[in-house]
Amino acid sequence: MLLKLIKFAAVCVAFIAGVSHAAAHGERAQEPYLRTRTVQFYDVHFSKTEVKVNERFELTGKFRLMQDWPDAVTPPDIVFVSSISPGPTIARIETYLNGWPARQSFARLELGRDYEFRMVLEGRTPGSSHIHPSISIKGSGPLVGPGQWVNISGEAHSFAFPIKTMTGLQIEDLQTFGLAHAVGWHLAWLAVAAAWLSFWLARPLILPRWLVLQKGREDLLISLRDTGAGIIVSAIVLVMVFGGYVRASAEYPYNVPLQSGLNRVAPLPASPAYAEIKVISATYDVPGRSMRLATQITNKGSEPLSIGELTTANIRFLNQSLPVAMANVDPSYPRDLIARTGLKLSSDTPINPGETREVRVEATDAVWELERLVSFLTDVDSKFGGLLLLYAPNGERVIAEMGGPIVPVFTELK
Amino acid sequence: MSGDALPRMANVTVIKTFDIHCGLFAFTMVALTILYISARLYQQAFGFSMGLDANSPEFDRYWMTLFRIELPVLYGAGVLCWSYLFLTRDRSIETVTPETELRRYFYLTMWLVVYSFCIFWTGSFFADGDGVWHQTTLRDTPLTPSHIILFYATIPIYLFFGVGSFVYAMTRIPAFCRGVSLMHAIAVVGPFLILPNLGFNEWGHAYWLTEEIFSHPLHWGFVVLGWCALALAGVLMQIVERFRELIPLVFKQDAAGSPTDANPFRDAWEKCGPEAQRQRYKPTSVSGRRPISGKSK
Amino acid sequence: MTSTADIDAAASPRENTRFKDKKGETVISVSGLTPGAARYSRLFDVLVVAAVVTIFGGAIHLHVMLTVGDWDMYVDWKDRQYWPLVMPVSMIMFPAALQAIFWVNFRLPIGATVGATALLIATWIGRYANWWIWTGFPFTEGVPSQALAGALLMDMTLIVLRNSLFTSIIGGFAFGFVFWPSNYSALAPFYLPVEHQGMVASLADMIGYTFPRSNMPEYLRIIERGTLRTFGSSVSWVSAAFAGFICIFMHQLWWRLGLFASQATFLKNSDVVKSFMGIKSSVAS
Ligand SMILES: [Cu+2]
Repeated sequence: MLLKLIKFAAVCVAFIAGVSHAAAHGERAQEPYLRTRTVQFYDVHFSKTEVKVNERFELTGKFRLMQDWPDAVTPPDIVFVSSISPGPTIARIETYLNGWPARQSFARLELGRDYEFRMVLEGRTPGSSHIHPSISIKGSGPLVGPGQWVNISGEAHSFAFPIKTMTGLQIEDLQTFGLAHAVGWHLAWLAVAAAWLSFWLARPLILPRWLVLQKGREDLLISLRDTGAGIIVSAIVLVMVFGGYVRASAEYPYNVPLQSGLNRVAPLPASPAYAEIKVISATYDVPGRSMRLATQITNKGSEPLSIGELTTANIRFLNQSLPVAMANVDPSYPRDLIARTGLKLSSDTPINPGETREVRVEATDAVWELERLVSFLTDVDSKFGGLLLLYAPNGERVIAEMGGPIVPVFTELK
Repeated sequence: MSGDALPRMANVTVIKTFDIHCGLFAFTMVALTILYISARLYQQAFGFSMGLDANSPEFDRYWMTLFRIELPVLYGAGVLCWSYLFLTRDRSIETVTPETELRRYFYLTMWLVVYSFCIFWTGSFFADGDGVWHQTTLRDTPLTPSHIILFYATIPIYLFFGVGSFVYAMTRIPAFCRGVSLMHAIAVVGPFLILPNLGFNEWGHAYWLTEEIFSHPLHWGFVVLGWCALALAGVLMQIVERFRELIPLVFKQDAAGSPTDANPFRDAWEKCGPEAQRQRYKPTSVSGRRPISGKSK
Repeated sequence: MTSTADIDAAASPRENTRFKDKKGETVISVSGLTPGAARYSRLFDVLVVAAVVTIFGGAIHLHVMLTVGDWDMYVDWKDRQYWPLVMPVSMIMFPAALQAIFWVNFRLPIGATVGATALLIATWIGRYANWWIWTGFPFTEGVPSQALAGALLMDMTLIVLRNSLFTSIIGGFAFGFVFWPSNYSALAPFYLPVEHQGMVASLADMIGYTFPRSNMPEYLRIIERGTLRTFGSSVSWVSAAFAGFICIFMHQLWWRLGLFASQATFLKNSDVVKSFMGIKSSVAS
């Protein structure tokens, strides 16, 4: 009841303040090098953004592990595929990496390669939750993909997570199963402790006992009766400990230890067509909120390629004049991560097979600042990274990695 | 030595009933309970709704405002309280009567109870909340809805009472003025050092980028400082050792009223003469434990 | 000068006609406290109990949280190799020190029980108020361990053997050893096997997986990684015995720390400070 009142009060205040949601939960606090040079997510898709409590939805997508991996980040030797939400507002049902079960962690993912994830999630706590896919790397923590608001409707108490054990036991709810048993034991122990403590606390305590002890009258403080009580309590404790253990072992004969250990998974096959991108110079115009790149692009495939998109740190700059690039935008992709102005290119014609061309790329948007990516000015290595998505006329997509040093410009560029 | 001590002590034969006032103590406990629960309710109301992103305007409004208010208010209150205790000190602490001294020992005990109560809220309740808050967000800035309460509100509150108890004892209780209680100092300074240790903690989190393993060695500085709580046992021993000397003096009228009319305390007291009275009444010696008679016979 | 001794003698009950009857001797009468003094002494008891429960509720919980907290906080950290080892080794520290403080000074065989009780209650308060009400983690995910069985045995050893060394050897060992069986009884249901995505998982693994913790990727768990397969199938007993072994030394170490903490040492205060309270530096008795 109190809890409901508090929640109600919080909702009222939030409403009055005119703030609907907090837009982030720490993802923007991560340094730009963590977000632009490690894991690049793409093709992220939320199957639903409106679910009921206990209703499932899927979060799928791919990611590329960047070649120019920062020194400060441990390599992806131990990796866990996860989802990030503000607390357990969703329940995880199943997760996969390249089709492999991902309940446990994976060993040694390869840099420069792509992986595909799939997560089956379920609404748990009513409200609006910002959900991200995430790749946690041991030693570096979670690196998150794009976050999307998922509205969960219904009643919190109606959530239940039934599961069936291999011993045939049907469990009604994983949230409460076994709890009464455990709490019962804790209460039993507390009862014994309370009995023992009150046996002593009822007597005169600190000062009188100390004075009596100073007078050498220990006999008054610990009697034979007290020692006898101690022996009885030890017997009770031992019976509870070992009797309880024997009973539990008999009741649960097929228990298993916690399951751990790393799994191994092969990356997605590399595409035969590819493009090589060399960044000749890169500047970030601070007042203009604009990243300007001079690149040298070599088409190493057999089809002409058009530049469709620049994506980094989950922010997407699209070539709005290329329909296939625009069609690649999933309707469930968070709108706040798509730059309005798009991508500006000095040359928009397709790059032919074997051709090397210098293209100036400009990505201008306030989102650089909104997402706090400008602080690459404070990184020690002042480098950036990103993916360039190129498209062949047949719709085939080539994903090319690029990156290099970036120079900030603090005055207006001409 | 001024001759004051003896005449005033001579007065103790005319004793009113010994009493102590628990009103301020009870009020403080209730007020602190309300304060802590309010802080927790504030977290409940605005933790998730306004406190997830340290760079958002709503975080600034709901959390940074609190941060900016609580720091000067709580530390300011502490400094005011400690200054007040110092300015109202007993300027002739050696002439204090046994009743007053005993009363002050009880008040010191109450200071320490309040201090302990604050340590519970910091070390257990809000620290536990911090642990679980880390499991709801990605690592954010050092200022989070849990840190703003735990580190910047509950720590100054226990410092208020920890340092307060120390200043109280030193300015009002002869033994704690003649000598510095080693264990009292440890019990206050240890938890105080948790605050500077925060720098180490956040430095480590900022540069080593470890994930939130709660039992990580990076957190062990807090643990060692928490061990200092044990030192209150030494203060307890100092208190009971002095009680042993004060209580016979203060409660001798009780003995006078006993059926046999035997008053061993008063008789012995009056028999022993002024010099011995002063000797007897002198606070615990500076060097340490008084020789204890009858130990482990 | 015998007068000081007179006072002590006066306070001693053996000199007091009221207490000549040995049968009528009680702690209060022997202590020499008059009824009025006993009343205030009881108030003092209440204050001390309040301080002990709260400060050690706070200090022990903080200590356990920051040394081995992850094993205690999450059901899917409670493995057979480390959980039965690290938990009792950390949990015995304060109870051992409290035992020393209460036993040596007051002959109260309750120190360990006081510590373990304060810890368990403080832990459950946090689980309820923070884990459940604030962040919504189910109780099954954060079900804690208890050290009460071991603490009680340790206090019983002390009252029977009345010796710190034997309490370390027998009581300390018991504290470490019974941690595993006494907690397994409570948590056994969480190790039931389920099949998940074609792999075996315990319910504990499933609980940790189902209710996501954003800063607890699976690999962070410091748990049994496939070793410890010897000794029949009773590998946990090896951990329990090892824990008992370390607890013997921990107990003795912390017992001594408890003794160190209960010394009533006063250091010299500076003359300047004393002069503020009217003590002249020249005063010498
Ligand atoms: Cu988010």
